[in-house]
Amino acid sequence: MEKDEQLVQRNAFGELLAMATENVVALAKISADVGDLTVRNLRLAGRRDIARLGQQLARTEDKLESVLQEVERLQDELRAEREKAARTNGAPRSRAQSQ
Amino acid sequence: MNPGRAAVEYANTLLTTEDAATGTTPRDVVWTHRKVTLYRYRSSQREHAVPVLLVFALINRPTIFDLRPGNSFVSFLLEEGFDVFLLDWGEPDDEDADMGLEAYVCDELPWGIRETLRAAEADEVSLLGWCIGGTVCAMHCALTHDTAVRNLVLLTTPIDTTDSRYGQWVARDSFDVDLVADAYPAIPGRMIDFANKLLKPKTNFWDTYANLWEATREGKARRDAYQPMAKWVADNPPFPSRAYREWITWMYKENRLVRGRMRLRGRRVDLRAIDQNLLVVTAGADHIAPPPGTAPIFDFVSSEDVTHFDRPGGHIGLMAGSRAREEIWPDLAGWLAERCSE
Repeated sequence: MEKDEQLVQRNAFGELLAMATENVVALAKISADVGDLTVRNLRLAGRRDIARLGQQLARTEDKLESVLQEVERLQDELRAEREKAARTNGAPRSRAQSQ
Repeated sequence: MNPGRAAVEYANTLLTTEDAATGTTPRDVVWTHRKVTLYRYRSSQREHAVPVLLVFALINRPTIFDLRPGNSFVSFLLEEGFDVFLLDWGEPDDEDADMGLEAYVCDELPWGIRETLRAAEADEVSLLGWCIGGTVCAMHCALTHDTAVRNLVLLTTPIDTTDSRYGQWVARDSFDVDLVADAYPAIPGRMIDFANKLLKPKTNFWDTYANLWEATREGKARRDAYQPMAKWVADNPPFPSRAYREWITWMYKENRLVRGRMRLRGRRVDLRAIDQNLLVVTAGADHIAPPPGTAPIFDFVSSEDVTHFDRPGGHIGLMAGSRAREEIWPDLAGWLAERCSE
């Protein structure tokens, strides 16, 4: 292992990095909050407002996905039924025909 | 080359990196949900009955599978007759802060598998996960007893984080993961990338650029190889804060996966439930998921067909380096081909 890699593996470096991360994150949070507050006071949509809209869209998409899964499950069930019926009638049907 | 001309060329290589062509193999969108997209690569020579689904990590982009023309794992698999799908996690943003590990393991991945099977009109799939993508795939197989996964391939995948270099930083009590996850709904990709690069500071922050400079001066710089990789390295999507919090806490601080304490949606992720044909690939010089951190999976799985490739190389270089096409891809394709017939 090279010297620089040994250095970053030291406990002291880990502690320093943890503290530096906290400082950077705290500063970033303060500046983001100030920026967001300024934008919202100007009666413009801030990042949080847009994120909230995005969350609503995501929830709608989750519901659509549930519907899609149900439709696909029913399609599979219908295809299986048709194939079963075709076999019973002695006339095999291809997947394409049954769709 | 004289230093002036070399300096101009060097600057040009760095400044035009963003324009490098990556991920160029033609593909179609099969399914989308939120930011997740399932792609199917076009091919007229599909020979194997079982499709292959590629899954990459939550950090960096999956274009590494299809890095550049002439060095694309996707193209290689297509040439070998596989039906290739890719599950792309996309670029999460603030609105995806609620996506935890369970969203990926219990929803997105199984849904991606379902759509792969429908598109390929197949009953089973081969799952190939890389890095965190491998862990997600392993968790899925461990959790889903009736999964359609026939073959599981794990590339440089973290399983046991004891003594890992990254763990020495983030597993310590003084690293407050909640502070980070509360401050950012989506953890900036640059931040995660910086930490990863800091594991090998000289190599990542100095040697890369110094080597390029030397190669440029000697007229040996290969822009076509350097730029796509540099572009990929710099492309860092955000990490949803909930998934980040859970990944760091459960995998690094508590090492739950190998301790048998990982629970998703109330169900225990039991690695012993993995019974698929299993191929594990480790890289000797991997500092992110070193072989001792992946090998413990062999103590758990109940698969009868287990193979381990331990090769020289790094976390990414093993699969995407210039020698991968000769040294590892044919072995992977051969292993899959043997297990992909009807």
